[in-house]
Amino acid sequence: MSDWRRIDIDAFDPESGRLTAQDLIPPYSHVITAQELQPKIQQLRSLSSSGDISSAIKLATNDPPYSADDATKAQYMMAVLETLTQVRQADITNILKGLNPQEQVVLVKYLYKGMSITEGQKQGGILLAWFEKLTQVAGVTPIVHYLSDRQTV
Amino acid sequence: MSQSLRPYLTAVRFSLEAALTLSNFSSQEVERHNRPEVEVPNTNAELLLQPMHISRNEHEQVLIEPSVNSIRVSLKVKQADEIEQILVHMFTRFLEQRAESFYILRRVPIEGYSISFLITNKHTESMKTDKLIDFIIEFMEDVDKEISEIKLFLNARARFTAEAYLGEFVY
Repeated sequence: MSDWRRIDIDAFDPESGRLTAQDLIPPYSHVITAQELQPKIQQLRSLSSSGDISSAIKLATNDPPYSADDATKAQYMMAVLETLTQVRQADITNILKGLNPQEQVVLVKYLYKGMSITEGQKQGGILLAWFEKLTQVAGVTPIVHYLSDRQTV
Repeated sequence: MSQSLRPYLTAVRFSLEAALTLSNFSSQEVERHNRPEVEVPNTNAELLLQPMHISRNEHEQVLIEPSVNSIRVSLKVKQADEIEQILVHMFTRFLEQRAESFYILRRVPIEGYSISFLITNKHTESMKTDKLIDFIIEFMEDVDKEISEIKLFLNARARFTAEAYLGEFVY
């Protein structure tokens, strides 16, 4: 006990009021598993391969799997990334106009997440095109929402 | 400006605009201290906000880590070959050694990036936020130009030296 002065006694106090990242995430009543998400991933794939990117984006941004664990989220992210990269540049603005503000916030989450993983970085150009068009449609608002929202995709 | 550079800079600009809403915030841990929360080992998760990755490709990235009273912006400058790696290293080191006169420059870049900026609420109070953003964008534009220019000079110089030196042996 030579460095007893350095012991952080507040850490042992349950009422210290310290919050960890886990405390900030709202409690979920139901945790989505990989099996439950599989049909949605299939649906996303089939929509994007049939060229209906607009519906695919709607589907992806409508009910993101916030409660899932990291591996499941990563799996889902790959499907979303595939959808995002299959779009034609000219269609992006029209798709974005069809999204409501909540969906735009979720899309920003996907874009930032996409750019933080290597698979997305290879497709940086198209993700940045999405981002630029989104700021033209919605301005800085979805980004501010993204910053303070603790629920990640 | 090239076609793919513009969306990249736009994304950085909007992200910075969103993140640069800093307020004065005294430390919750240490009495009478006021420190950039993004820099200290933090036990209060509520003070840190979601980090933002913006990447043009694997070699050109920006990471913005926001917190309640400070943000850290890290750039990864394009380094295509070994010469560029050395040039970027020398160039950023030159700037970092003079970090005092740059105010927002961080002395050491964070792991995996070429150069980092640390903007605190003191800076946004004493300087115009828009101009700070403009500065970072301009820096990003210029640093690529600068590096490729130095590389050209270096090659020209090497060629000239080699010609002058090897010319001695031609009879």
